[in-house]
Amino acid sequence: MVNLTPHALLFTIAAIGIAEAAYLVKTRRSEIAPVCPIGQDCSTVLSSRYNHLFGVHNDILGFLFYIAFAGATALLVLEAVEVSSLLSAMKVMLAGATIMSLFLVYLQAKVIRAWCFWCVMSAATICLMDIIILTTTLS
Amino acid sequence: MRYTENIIRVGLGITFLWIGILIFQHPDAWGQALQPWALGLLPIDLRTAMMQTAVFDITVGFFLLVEVLPALFSLLAFIHLITVITVVGITGVTARDIGLAAIALALTIAYWPKRKS
Repeated sequence: MVNLTPHALLFTIAAIGIAEAAYLVKTRRSEIAPVCPIGQDCSTVLSSRYNHLFGVHNDILGFLFYIAFAGATALLVLEAVEVSSLLSAMKVMLAGATIMSLFLVYLQAKVIRAWCFWCVMSAATICLMDIIILTTTLS
Repeated sequence: MRYTENIIRVGLGITFLWIGILIFQHPDAWGQALQPWALGLLPIDLRTAMMQTAVFDITVGFFLLVEVLPALFSLLAFIHLITVITVVGITGVTARDIGLAAIALALTIAYWPKRKS
């Protein structure tokens, strides 16, 4: 029987990411300042000129990534598609998200010089996903 | 809305989503949990009923997660959990389902639109 622990962890983290990204999309569209649980710079970061990439808001990119990753994890559990191809696709997606997260952390630290709780949390979730993917066997 | 409701909402959403996926994985095994009298009431075959349950769980979980119509989906979650407790009967995991049902009811009350006075 397949050990589902890493799958459950990845799915849970992706689901938290979905909830977080959905919250940021909702507050932006409603033009409401998001709650900033730690610090006071969330609005500074989220309304900066770096809040979008290739014309798409970062919150939407994050939402789509987390949905795709959660969906891929679910397909892995269901063994609905060929596992090795799906795992490769997930690793490529995660590598892209990791690069983007590192870039956004760099922007907050060196360019905007303000930290956003939600952006740091998103970077932490991506980091956790990296650790799970690198240290466990998903099959 | 306080942090507590949001944490509970996301947690319940994740639970519903994950259980939905697990039911999709083994619908027949999950169907075995039903009491014989409940099986007799099903108008469709057990496998189809469990697949529909999985779709329902995933739908409720997703809408809770993204906080769209949270009062409605919390209420649906509560009704669903009470139905599960009824058709499965008292087992080793009933206490967990009672806890989840209580959480869903609390969320329904928290998100229910307040009457303006």
